[in-house]
Amino acid sequence: MENSTQESNLRSDNSVTYDSPYPLYAMAFSSNPNSQQQQRIAVGSFIEEYTNRIDILSFNPDTLSIKPQPSLSFDHPYPPTKLMFHPSTHSSLLKTSSDLLATSGDYLRLWEVRENSVEALSLFNNSKTSEFCAPLTSFDWNDIEPKRIGTSSIDTTCTIWDIERGVVETQLIAHDKEVYDIAWGESRVFASVSADGSVRIFDLRDKEHSTIIYESPQPDTPLLRLAWNKKDLRYMATILMDSNKVVILDIRSPTTPVAELERHRAGVNAIAWAPRSSRHICSAGDDTQALIWELPTVAGPNGIDPMSMYSSGYEINQLQWSAAQPDWIAIAFANKMQLLRV
Amino acid sequence: MVSENMKEQLALAVRSIQWSYAIFWSESVNQSGVLNWGEGYYNGDIKTRKTSQGVELSSDQIGLQRNEQLRELFRSLKTTETSPQTKRPSAALSPEDLTDTEWYYLVCMSFVFKIGQGLPGRALANGQPIWLINAYSTDCKVFSRALLAKSASIQTVVCFPFMKGVIELGTTDLVLEDLSLIQQIKTSFLNILNVDDPSNTETIPNTRNNEGVACEAFDHNDFNVELIPEVEYDIINNTTTSPNGSSNALDINQLLDETFMVESINHRTSQVQSWQVIDDDLSNCVHNNSMNSSDCISQTFASPQKINASADPKGGEDCNNQKMTLVDPLTDDWHYQGILSTLLKSADQLIMGVHFQNFHQESSFCVWNKGGTVDCHRPRQGTSQKLLKKILFEVPRMHMDGLLESQEENDYREGTRLEADEGMNHVMSERRRRAKLNERFLTLRSMVPSNSKDDKVSILDDAIEYLRKLEKRIKELEAQRDPIDIESRSKKSTHDMVERTSDQYYNKTNNIKKPIVKKRKVCDIEETRREVCLKGSSTSVNMSDNRVVIEMKCPSRPGRILEIMEVVNKLNIDFDSVQSTEADGSIHLIIKSKFTGPSNATTKKIKQALQKVVSKS
Repeated sequence: MENSTQESNLRSDNSVTYDSPYPLYAMAFSSNPNSQQQQRIAVGSFIEEYTNRIDILSFNPDTLSIKPQPSLSFDHPYPPTKLMFHPSTHSSLLKTSSDLLATSGDYLRLWEVRENSVEALSLFNNSKTSEFCAPLTSFDWNDIEPKRIGTSSIDTTCTIWDIERGVVETQLIAHDKEVYDIAWGESRVFASVSADGSVRIFDLRDKEHSTIIYESPQPDTPLLRLAWNKKDLRYMATILMDSNKVVILDIRSPTTPVAELERHRAGVNAIAWAPRSSRHICSAGDDTQALIWELPTVAGPNGIDPMSMYSSGYEINQLQWSAAQPDWIAIAFANKMQLLRV
Repeated sequence: MVSENMKEQLALAVRSIQWSYAIFWSESVNQSGVLNWGEGYYNGDIKTRKTSQGVELSSDQIGLQRNEQLRELFRSLKTTETSPQTKRPSAALSPEDLTDTEWYYLVCMSFVFKIGQGLPGRALANGQPIWLINAYSTDCKVFSRALLAKSASIQTVVCFPFMKGVIELGTTDLVLEDLSLIQQIKTSFLNILNVDDPSNTETIPNTRNNEGVACEAFDHNDFNVELIPEVEYDIINNTTTSPNGSSNALDINQLLDETFMVESINHRTSQVQSWQVIDDDLSNCVHNNSMNSSDCISQTFASPQKINASADPKGGEDCNNQKMTLVDPLTDDWHYQGILSTLLKSADQLIMGVHFQNFHQESSFCVWNKGGTVDCHRPRQGTSQKLLKKILFEVPRMHMDGLLESQEENDYREGTRLEADEGMNHVMSERRRRAKLNERFLTLRSMVPSNSKDDKVSILDDAIEYLRKLEKRIKELEAQRDPIDIESRSKKSTHDMVERTSDQYYNKTNNIKKPIVKKRKVCDIEETRREVCLKGSSTSVNMSDNRVVIEMKCPSRPGRILEIMEVVNKLNIDFDSVQSTEADGSIHLIIKSKFTGPSNATTKKIKQALQKVVSKS
């Protein structure tokens, strides 16, 4: 059963829908609106074949319109596992009026998205090490030190790249099993989640050690995604495989979650902290819902209820909260990308 | 509600047993069912003292002063959060001056526990003391501050319910459970409390709650709020000058105390101005602190909306700020602490948190309700997190498989994606190397009697074991041989035989263009081993004592192995082990066996029998 109102009315006052020719997964907001006050959004297809597409759309919040920019579409080998625009407005790598986009899949790639064209800037592979470059599950761009990108791989390692010099800063065996996601907390501190069921924190100054912040209750339940609260670094959120829970962690009290958000009715697929608030997080899942939560200071006995909700009618696979325009949340389901006003 | 002389009692208690700290967790005024910092006394190691005033202080006074400074530091850090535009007031202590244990104590100030949770919470819920040894190695689920305790080398932590709250004691020593100790402390507490003038409690409530609470409690005007530090001094004064300010009580500099007492008690409404006059008069560390604290509070009060945000009973942000300021913590060597401190850095970020966009009317989101809305369907059937799982589990596999394909396309793609191809070449050569390795391992496994698992280590272990056996066997055989024989040919020939066997094996079964290892010229190999080649088949029989090793290779045919076995069996030969590999249409057999009964089978006889079988193709 679909929500027919949503379907037919692609534009309403509070949401805009983009229909893609193919199913979508990866998605990213650009960090700064361009000259026309339009924000770029990159969407990556999910086609289980070699050729996949990345499309660049431009979103105008005033007219509530999404315009695809066909000249900026390009191919990607297999579906990109993550897309991310350069986190800050200024970069030495960039000319003005162009954006830098990173993609992960077989390799970490950097693309320069210009006014009317996209150019592949670089491809990072660390195959010079003895082990071959294993496929990447995710990456995160360090917003404090934007020359750093950390990638997570199925070969149990995380690689920290210096993208300006194009070299590997370090490669760490982060986990006992596949690493599924990575998130920066500070310029030199990152955390990762893995199939081994743990959240670990790393400090680039002390690569010998890591601290396990959380372990999934049933041993070896993989942790799939990780989001670090950039507005209050004490908190991070993770999701477990086949679980409707969003686990909120406080790095001060490792291994015991401060909260478990359990109001989804099916598996959670994506989480995103509010870009401008320390206490709000959005989650989306197979129950077709996107929920916004306000974290209370102390949880009540019956758990935490979400503050608000949205239902798309389809399993929501992806969720991004625009840092440049914090009023907007993007979700992806089936072959649609939808922008929701918060 | 915290009794105002709690601090002194804690001090007495902790000093009497020489532990590191004592904390009284009291029920939060703001939030029922929650324990937060009520009072505490730190008695542990101190790194630096700032007693620049040159005033002679007794150890008790120093202890008290240090505690005040710690509390000041905590507050000042908190102030940094609420009003980042003002610099952190110059507290007597800065985070760099703290020892690890003090750091631990300071961070404790920011903790809250639900009743029934955490060590204090459970102690209160159960009404039973909890005695925790090896605190730092305790599971974080039991003791949430375990990692912090580790950095502080806190080994023993004891919690017991006391006066609607919980007393927590901790020490860096390992102290085994001793309930009489708790009893002793309890009674000493109770005694003091009984002796103390109860009126103090009534007149000065809540002195040690957080600023937000204090503001409410006093609920007067700015000036009253600014008096809070003064109130704190009342406590001290009252206690120290009261008759029961027993031996260990905190003998504050009398002159100071008396002045304060007069000021504070008689001029409860005394204003900042008068306070500052005293401040000018008495340049003492303690005093400076109190000045600072009054600063903090007035600043906090000046922005009430921010107080609301920061009066968070969880005290979370407080902790942040402490750590934020501690950009360079004392012990860089400790990973977790280092991370904590670097992570939580700029105060500005947190302030943003207050400005959460309230919902527009035109928001896509609607208020959540438990029953769910109309269009909230039951989740569909099928794999949960389907796409996410595909991205994480299957897409990497696609790439791995894709690498193989792209390798084939390499030729025409060269040049366009040089870097990628380099990578792929590398990947491919790596893969080929691994494939070869695996192949060899399989071969090795088939050659070696194996009773363990299939993993590579086991295969190697078995191979080593087997080689050792063989070597031993060789030695035995050599020992049995004619001395002349040994001299002339022994070692070499047996060694060569082994080597040759393996060479043959590789060349014939694997069909790999493997460079043929140059064989040593063996002239006398026929002596120990006769080989007859027959249409791509070979048979060798090696006999010593009553042991027979038969090695043969012949074209594969269904039932052939069985036939061979039968033949061998008829010769009264018992199998020790049989290994067979089948490759390229050939069977390669190694039969190790021994004679079971009287047998006149000779090498020749066996061989002939076997060849007969083979020829029956």
